Amino acid sequence: MNDRVLVVIPVWNEASNLHGVVMELRGARPDDDLLVVDDGSTDGSGEMARRLGCRVVTLPFRLGYGAAVQAGVKYGLRREYEVTVTFDGDGQHDPADVAPLLEAVREGVDVALGSRFLAPEAYHGGLLRQGGRRLFSLLLRLLTGLRLTDPTSGLKALGPRGQALFALARFPDRFPDADALVLARRARLVVAERPARMRRSQNRHSMHGGGRAVAYTFNMFLSLLVAAAGRESDLRG
Amino acid sequence: MPIRQKIFFLTIAVVLLLVILELVRRRRLRVEYSWLWLASALTIVLLILRYDLLIWITGLVGAVIPTSTLFFFSILYLALLSLNYSVRLSDLTRQVKELAQEVALLRSDKDER
Repeated sequence: MNDRVLVVIPVWNEASNLHGVVMELRGARPDDDLLVVDDGSTDGSGEMARRLGCRVVTLPFRLGYGAAVQAGVKYGLRREYEVTVTFDGDGQHDPADVAPLLEAVREGVDVALGSRFLAPEAYHGGLLRQGGRRLFSLLLRLLTGLRLTDPTSGLKALGPRGQALFALARFPDRFPDADALVLARRARLVVAERPARMRRSQNRHSMHGGGRAVAYTFNMFLSLLVAAAGRESDLRG
Repeated sequence: MPIRQKIFFLTIAVVLLLVILELVRRRRLRVEYSWLWLASALTIVLLILRYDLLIWITGLVGAVIPTSTLFFFSILYLALLSLNYSVRLSDLTRQVKELAQEVALLRSDKDER
């Protein structure tokens, strides 16, 4: 139980939620280091994280969710954390769900995902999102044989090999979701899910909202095929 | 091709050539990109001097008038050029991302020390 754990919280203008998220994580997981990756916020999220005593990596401009997570993973790799957890800054994840993911990593899982569909009475998102997620689950199963219920989950725990994968230069850095898992399987990593309760996000600019959903679906679809059909060299350096 | 047209287009092609060479000389245009532009300008010169070449290509691809051959290949050329730019932009995007992450990580190293 003495693994060093880094919790990476990518934020873009989450000043209204960050305080609550950090306090809750501190309460539930006092021994873990918290790293806020400030993805070019303009509302002082980074400053707030610093005042709250978090480690902070400030990206010079907005790179997007995937690249922000990746920056956090790189930070963890350089400081040799055994496990890196990715945790959304908008308050939709529950710190209590981190422990089962860490347990999974300890059991040899490289990429452990928190799935809202394995959890009882959870917020499952709107009909459209659910449909989209089903579609990706199905595609993912066809491409990799992985049976995952929630492949777009932002709550993840990464073991050393998982971290190395996420730090690759050619890692899908827009939205590392289902396509990242395809890569993980191609790199022969072990991927598994654990139940996680998701709350309704407080902040409506959270990643997949609104009219961008269609673009997201299309991009994800392409990205999945690219990940599946990519070259072996994608998995190195 | 009437002599008046020849002179007009030749002038344009020569000016284009000079502009490219000057850009390279001033290091505004990298040498590895310049050959493409030089080749484009020289192609224009060639087609002005040897209009029969264009007519020959027109027959070869089965087009009816040389103008459509010219327009078709111009558009194809521009499309390929922008495809090439998209590829370069993708590379640059990745490089900028890596750099931005590196800068942020180095800065956090410095702050933590």
